[in-house]
Amino acid sequence: MKVIKKEDLKGFIDGLIEKGEREVVGVKSKDSKYVFDTLEDAEELELDYDVTILPPKKYFMPQRETLVEYKTKKGIDMEAVNEVIPRIIIGVHPYDLEAIKQMDKVFADSPEDYNYSEKRSKSILIGVNMQKTSEWSFAGSMGNATIDDGYDLMLTDLGDKYAVEIGSSKGRELLDEGSLKIRDAEPEEIEEVENIEEDIKNKFEKELDFSPEKLPWLLAQKYGDEDFWEENAEDCYSCGTCNIVCPTCYCFDVQDFNDISLEEGERMRQWDGCMLEAFAEVAGGENFREERAERYRHRYMRKGRYLYNRFGDIACVGCGRCSSQCVPDIADPTDIFNKLWRDKDE
Amino acid sequence: MKPEEKPKVAFFDFAGCEGDQLQIANLEEKILDLLNIVEVVSFREVMTEHSDDYDVAFIEGSITDTHNEERLKEIRENADVLVAIGACATIGGINSIRNVQDFEKVQDRVYGDERDHYEAWEKAKPAKAVVDVDYEVHGCPIDRDEFLHVVQSLVMGREPHIPDHPVCVECKLNENVCAFERDEFCVGPVTRAGCDSCCVNEGTICWGCRGMIDNPNEDAHEEVLEEYGLTAEEVMNKFDLYFAWQKEVRKDE
Repeated sequence: MKVIKKEDLKGFIDGLIEKGEREVVGVKSKDSKYVFDTLEDAEELELDYDVTILPPKKYFMPQRETLVEYKTKKGIDMEAVNEVIPRIIIGVHPYDLEAIKQMDKVFADSPEDYNYSEKRSKSILIGVNMQKTSEWSFAGSMGNATIDDGYDLMLTDLGDKYAVEIGSSKGRELLDEGSLKIRDAEPEEIEEVENIEEDIKNKFEKELDFSPEKLPWLLAQKYGDEDFWEENAEDCYSCGTCNIVCPTCYCFDVQDFNDISLEEGERMRQWDGCMLEAFAEVAGGENFREERAERYRHRYMRKGRYLYNRFGDIACVGCGRCSSQCVPDIADPTDIFNKLWRDKDE
Repeated sequence: MKPEEKPKVAFFDFAGCEGDQLQIANLEEKILDLLNIVEVVSFREVMTEHSDDYDVAFIEGSITDTHNEERLKEIRENADVLVAIGACATIGGINSIRNVQDFEKVQDRVYGDERDHYEAWEKAKPAKAVVDVDYEVHGCPIDRDEFLHVVQSLVMGREPHIPDHPVCVECKLNENVCAFERDEFCVGPVTRAGCDSCCVNEGTICWGCRGMIDNPNEDAHEEVLEEYGLTAEEVMNKFDLYFAWQKEVRKDE
């Protein structure tokens, strides 16, 4: 573990911005909320934030992205497009680092998604331990209040200085880039970080009443409880907000958009969501999840069971974005999972 | 339409402000691209010529009296393809606010002593309430790029990509702070996306100009608005600005 003074870290970040070799991105305030956005000055960084509106996955899988450009004047001329901007992303919380680890698995799965993986490999992730928690977060219950890997560097606020954990050679090389005043952490500082990481685990207002490892079993049992899903989905707008703000949702839609010249166009992908009515509609108009309750149930099944069966991860990291941004307040995973747990068959 | 021939298109306006045709007139350099794929034979706002020989009719404005109805039916017979453009033509638009008001008062307010000279329906209707409509370009006003997308789709014989999900999708993609978290209230959760949440991006709210999605959860949204402290009347006002005609049709279904 290393230690750096806050003012020195600021100077280091300003140096990176000035150098311009990579885009420097960090957590900034937006009205009363926070977002990941390009930094023009290290002063803009808000490392004591609670949660951002969108997770940082938008840098590896942008909300809208051109995959192919085509021309149709002389036959069909197609070219794959992948706009890769090398980035340093500063201020990623442990639950979002866990989500990125899961996304890495998803997009590395055959066939590898190069539009994701090339952006991901050109990024440096600087994590930060949480100082504030969102009132909707239950990252502690999901085991994601802290994290041991998935970052290149990890910061912990120690008053006028930061403890810096090095997570990869990419992280170490970044520290070597500037003439940075950094020193080894002293034993007391290491203990302080350990205490902070222990304390964070108990700072969450929302909790799961049982171990998340039991979710696949519980959800398998409750799949057929149609009254439960219908009752809870009654006020669902099918607006997809819970999907779009989720750090582990990765579904997308692909559409071709022709230019009005009719001689060229773009194949675009855009984030999609299983809560949207058209999501499971196929050619011919058949819809595999026509009812609100079916779509509502599907999201919980994905998060707690289906993705576990495929990749071995519980795909809810406990960030609380879905519940905090759901206008009718029906998307809180702790509420649904705890209700199911209380009502389980022994 | 014969293949290899540019389709002839004509624009017609009914009760409305012609703001949608203005959007098209304002296409600037793209209007030249548009003219490469269609031949405009009638467009009152930009040309004096007129012809009744057209393949595609663009309809702006809502249908508010029998004269409108007859004229629209005639256009429908002339055209192979009929496209409604703008909220007045697609969902009745602002004109349909009168659908939920006392009609005599409405007439008094608009025409005063002269009201007997104007034969008007009690309720404003969108084009599809009177004739079959093949395509719709939503919005108040329409989005120029979406208009071009619909035109090129119909020229190529493809189904245009018009979203049937709420504005919340685009609002979140644009990482806006939700109006409800700013102590404001909007109808985005029941309104059809496709506008790129342009109003909320600029810091205001969604008023619903693209109309409700095909299957909105309006009951839930009315409840939510009341829970957030709006009176029943304020909630209704939110819904009646653009949705008056749609709400009535849904009620009758």
